[in-house]
Amino acid sequence: MDTSLFLVQLLNGVQYGLLLFLIASGLTLVFGVMGILNLAHGSMYMIGAYLAYYFTTLTDSFLLAFIISGTIALVIGIIIERFLIIHLYKRDHLDQVLLTVGLIFIFNATQSYVWGNDPLGVEVPELLSGSIRLTDIVEYPVYRLFISLLCLVVAASMYFTINKTRLGMMIRAGESDRAMVENLGVDISKLFTIVFAIGVFLASLAGIVSAPIVSLVPGMGEHVLISCFVVVVIGGLGSIKGAFVAALIVGIVDTYASVLLPQISSMSIYLLMALILLVKPQGLFKN
Amino acid sequence: MSIFANKSEKIFIYLFFAIGLFIPLFLEGNTFYINKFSTIIILAIFVMSLDYLVGRTGLITLGHAMFYGLGGYIFTILAPEYEAVNFWVYTFYVMLISGFIALIVGLIVLRTSGIYMIMITLALAQMTFYFFADSIEYGGQDGLFIYIKPETSIFGLSFLDLDNETHFYYLCLLSLFNCFVFFKIIMNSSFGRVIDALKENPDRATALGYNIFHFRLIAYVLASSLAAYAGYLFALQFGFVNPSMMSWDVSATALVMALLGGLGSIYGAIIGSFVYEGLHYFIEHLTEYWMFFMGALIIVLVLTLKYGMAGFLNNLSGGKRS
Repeated sequence: MDTSLFLVQLLNGVQYGLLLFLIASGLTLVFGVMGILNLAHGSMYMIGAYLAYYFTTLTDSFLLAFIISGTIALVIGIIIERFLIIHLYKRDHLDQVLLTVGLIFIFNATQSYVWGNDPLGVEVPELLSGSIRLTDIVEYPVYRLFISLLCLVVAASMYFTINKTRLGMMIRAGESDRAMVENLGVDISKLFTIVFAIGVFLASLAGIVSAPIVSLVPGMGEHVLISCFVVVVIGGLGSIKGAFVAALIVGIVDTYASVLLPQISSMSIYLLMALILLVKPQGLFKN
Repeated sequence: MSIFANKSEKIFIYLFFAIGLFIPLFLEGNTFYINKFSTIIILAIFVMSLDYLVGRTGLITLGHAMFYGLGGYIFTILAPEYEAVNFWVYTFYVMLISGFIALIVGLIVLRTSGIYMIMITLALAQMTFYFFADSIEYGGQDGLFIYIKPETSIFGLSFLDLDNETHFYYLCLLSLFNCFVFFKIIMNSSFGRVIDALKENPDRATALGYNIFHFRLIAYVLASSLAAYAGYLFALQFGFVNPSMMSWDVSATALVMALLGGLGSIYGAIIGSFVYEGLHYFIEHLTEYWMFFMGALIIVLVLTLKYGMAGFLNNLSGGKRS
């Protein structure tokens, strides 16, 4: 592998890793604060991508589609938390698994009813459709750089929100001692709704921005969900910092494995996870 | 001592197997429905093994289908392609090898528990899925075909012809019966009592000197190799194996069936499989988008039915919860 290919793959790996972080951070945030494992998290990624497709075709503007789809995702998040997840706070893990599996079934059936089972695609918005010349012979698509940048902005604003704002303070408090937060007069049910909606929004956001670079197929949500599991298991469940580091590792390993070791490429990240678990059963950054 | 935990279980089991014995007589010649029943009975064996694991040890796995698929693959890979092998010998091989794999997997996944275990079992099952889906040697997405079905002679005597649908049905029914009795014996043994104690209060069981990890590992290996046996039967019935047998939704659906029947009740696995598959068959005929209604049903179920159909039947017959 020559240097330029190496560089392009590194950029691809980082971009994929950052996208994974976007999704995994929502999963890990919801778990960290609410103690809920949302298996339908991947479905929200899928729904985001399909909504982006729908509204781009409808309005001819990716920016408009971006805004509308993001809003719908937030609303879906609030509805799911208010009507379903709210019953799970005092239940065990198994009920969480089963209820969210039920949601996956519903989302998948809805997707196949509304959009059918044929692969769909979204065009890269015109403004971001060009390529940047990296060296004399290597070009890199602007849109992929845009995704990386957007993910970094989201990561930075998450860091800021959690560490510097009042909401962040409540989130951190909720992670360490839920009962105490409630006793101190914080409206915990409102906090849970906000956090869950943010989690769903992050997954959908990832779906929306990746719509132009992936093909939209049934089952895309589950695939992403399982990669996210690998990320949060490696990073330590509930730790956003861990998710960030692990997502980059997973993104880069996955990308290089598909170039260097195509025979085992789809297994590589799972092998990585098994190895890390043998050494650190709680992940790299135990929360 | 009776192996039944309560009256409703006893009535259900007698009724189920009595009706089961005569089903082929009623369906004389209708191989479609005989095959359908065989498939559901195989599924019930798979669900029963999961029901024991999740319901009795309290360890939640979302990767049980991995062993279901492995059962089929182990047979197909080991058996010579154009030669009839002995069914019983290969039953032994399939269960032994899958048990060994379960031992290794168990050593990794049982180091964790709760949410972690759910995610790790799922990820490892998915890894196995991709291993077979990507391997050219094992047929990739299309899987492998079984051209010659095994023969079933014991000491030269053969009672069963696996190509005959009715014979195969009785083999499945017998397997389910054995499986049920096996789990019941285990539950009533001292091993089973320790397993119950571990679920109830792991700390106290440890204080009493039991090694939690060893007991959990044994339960995991037992349940996994029975799941593999079910997968082996499935492969024989359809004459092929492919990676979709171990996809995540097979594990998830089996969990739903176990919950539907009543977790940890063992006989509930039979109820759960039949009720779920019956509903599935019914809804599928009404609409192509049956998943929507199954999803809604699962959600309603989780929110309302805490002890499954088995608990419901037990309440009807006025018994106490076991």
